[in-house]
Amino acid sequence: MRAPRQVIAFVAVWLLAPLPFHAQDLSVPNQPGSLKFAAIGDNGTGEQPEYDVANQMDLWHQRFPFDMVIMLGDNLYGSQGPGDFVQKFERPYKTLLDAGVKFYASLGNHDKTSNDSYRLFNMGGERYYTYARGNVRFFVIDSNFLDPPQLAWLESSLKSAREPWKIAYFHHPLYSDGGRHGSEVELRVRLEPIFIRYSVNVVYSGHDHIYERLKPQNGIHYFVSGAGGELRQGDLKRSAMTAAGFDQDRSFMLNEIAGDDLFFQVVSRTGQTVDRGVIHREGYQ
Amino acid sequence: MSRTWRFVLDHYLVLPLGGAIAIVWSNASPLAYFKVSQALAFAVNDVGMAFVLAYVAQDVVEAAMPGGTLHPWRRAVVPVIGGIGGALAATGVYLLYVQHANEEMLARGWPIACGVDIFFCVAIARAIFRRGSAVAFLLLLALASDVVGLTAASRTFLVADVHPAAGFLIVAAVVVAAALRRRRVRSVWPYLLCSAPLSWLACYWTGLHPALGLLPIVPFFFHSARNLNASGAGHGEHRRANHFEEVFEYPVQAVVFLFGLVNAGVLLRGFGTGTWAVLTALLAGRPAGILAAVAVAVSAGLHLPRNVGWKELIVIALAASLSVTFGLFFAAAVFPDGPLLMEMRIGALGTAAGILIALAAARLLRVGRFANVPLARQALGAHLTRGPA
Repeated sequence: MRAPRQVIAFVAVWLLAPLPFHAQDLSVPNQPGSLKFAAIGDNGTGEQPEYDVANQMDLWHQRFPFDMVIMLGDNLYGSQGPGDFVQKFERPYKTLLDAGVKFYASLGNHDKTSNDSYRLFNMGGERYYTYARGNVRFFVIDSNFLDPPQLAWLESSLKSAREPWKIAYFHHPLYSDGGRHGSEVELRVRLEPIFIRYSVNVVYSGHDHIYERLKPQNGIHYFVSGAGGELRQGDLKRSAMTAAGFDQDRSFMLNEIAGDDLFFQVVSRTGQTVDRGVIHREGYQ
Repeated sequence: MSRTWRFVLDHYLVLPLGGAIAIVWSNASPLAYFKVSQALAFAVNDVGMAFVLAYVAQDVVEAAMPGGTLHPWRRAVVPVIGGIGGALAATGVYLLYVQHANEEMLARGWPIACGVDIFFCVAIARAIFRRGSAVAFLLLLALASDVVGLTAASRTFLVADVHPAAGFLIVAAVVVAAALRRRRVRSVWPYLLCSAPLSWLACYWTGLHPALGLLPIVPFFFHSARNLNASGAGHGEHRRANHFEEVFEYPVQAVVFLFGLVNAGVLLRGFGTGTWAVLTALLAGRPAGILAAVAVAVSAGLHLPRNVGWKELIVIALAASLSVTFGLFFAAAVFPDGPLLMEMRIGALGTAAGILIALAAARLLRVGRFANVPLARQALGAHLTRGPA
């Protein structure tokens, strides 16, 4: 049954692509029973742009009821007292939190390590952890501190994972065309061989305050989504590895995994769709 | 051996050579560089550096012997106070900086603020003061600060598994070394083959930095007293008397070169808060801390060494801001590969600016070799007095 579903997905995207595209249309299929999640990075400023993005997420959630949000680090900027958690997280995402949407955070360089114990980040007091949803297993990595115990944990967790989809997310991008930071090559040398060995499908990161989709690198799809609150306008320096990008405003990602396909749609602060597509899971076993 | 080559070896210039190659390579071909540097990191930082630290330690052991620079110990009180004061001030500035920048992740990097580059700051001191008590003062000050940093950094060594029970191997290593010494074994090889592996493994398995692995057995090597504050001290006759130094003089230079190659490769855009925190702590915090601590010591009745006044002390404090080698070493001990380590490395390399600052201060204050150089300011003043032609 897998082949017909692939064909339908590709035909749908192929047919839709040349049509006049309504920027505020939902591009993901929104199938019942699929895994739906959003992704935000570098969001926790507590300033108006973060609230604007959060409002857009509310609006799209009404049409696309995602169950969870993956947070790509720098979840809070500046001071991080109890009041800051309210102003920079609980208040902007209140509607989503009230609707039961769960947030699963990774730590960025601006986050405090102790934030792993903050209940609404669902980190279980661990700076790196793994969890499964349906046929997807997520691996949340602390890229600030990729020490030997964490690498050993990652390798053993990936080895024992039985889910067909393996998605990793963390703050610092292994591939990025952001002008300020760019690719974290030192981390890539450590992580990419493990990702390849254990057939990780997709990797999400933040840190560069832009959106970028990379062309698959060694069979792995990479996204940079670091403009959930912060923005470095015009910082995307497109290269041969850039598949798509957006650096003119804040943005977040909608994702849906149905069978062997991951559909994604990237939405700006003003509700415009700035990228969309589908990733088909290759025949890893 | 040519004088040029002797100069290169005495001043450990192979380190900046390795560092320069690393910087060019890492920016030209980062993937290839980091693959090589990460592959070599264990061999260089954890094994090779054990011999370098042992080499430094045997200098210190010999300098502390009767007739050596650091003997008797009470001569060391003021510089040790200065070193500890400098380490505390630099640490305080570092922690305040990262706290103010709200980057708590960097706080664990505070041992880097304690690192003083013994190789280069002593070379700079020799270049400025030539010889005398100022050089010994700076050496002692650097040692005190590095001991604080080493102690802190060694406790955060990054290993997957820790086996505290392996600590008994250190006792075994010391017993073996003591037995060899008792039998008056002069060759260093029995010490290295029988005792050193036990000591190194003990450090590695207990979670201490394995580069410290040879330090427990160094005092048992055969030594003779040494005067470290004389230019070119320790070579020739002394080297022949010390088998460890004779054997490892060139291998240590090779390790230092590789250390620069493996650790100094930074992407120029990799700077961040950690970079500025390290630079502020070392270039501003440490000199201020040294001067304040020595001022307290002097006001408490202790004395500065002969021929070291406040002008010399200012130059010494500025020279002690240099942290390149030990800063890189502590950074690699505290942070795993990644962006935070990169920030720290750039900061440690940036403290090389301390060379220029110390030389400029020496010239301005007319100390050491600049004592008889007319001040540019005086020349300018004379020009202004005369007025334009």
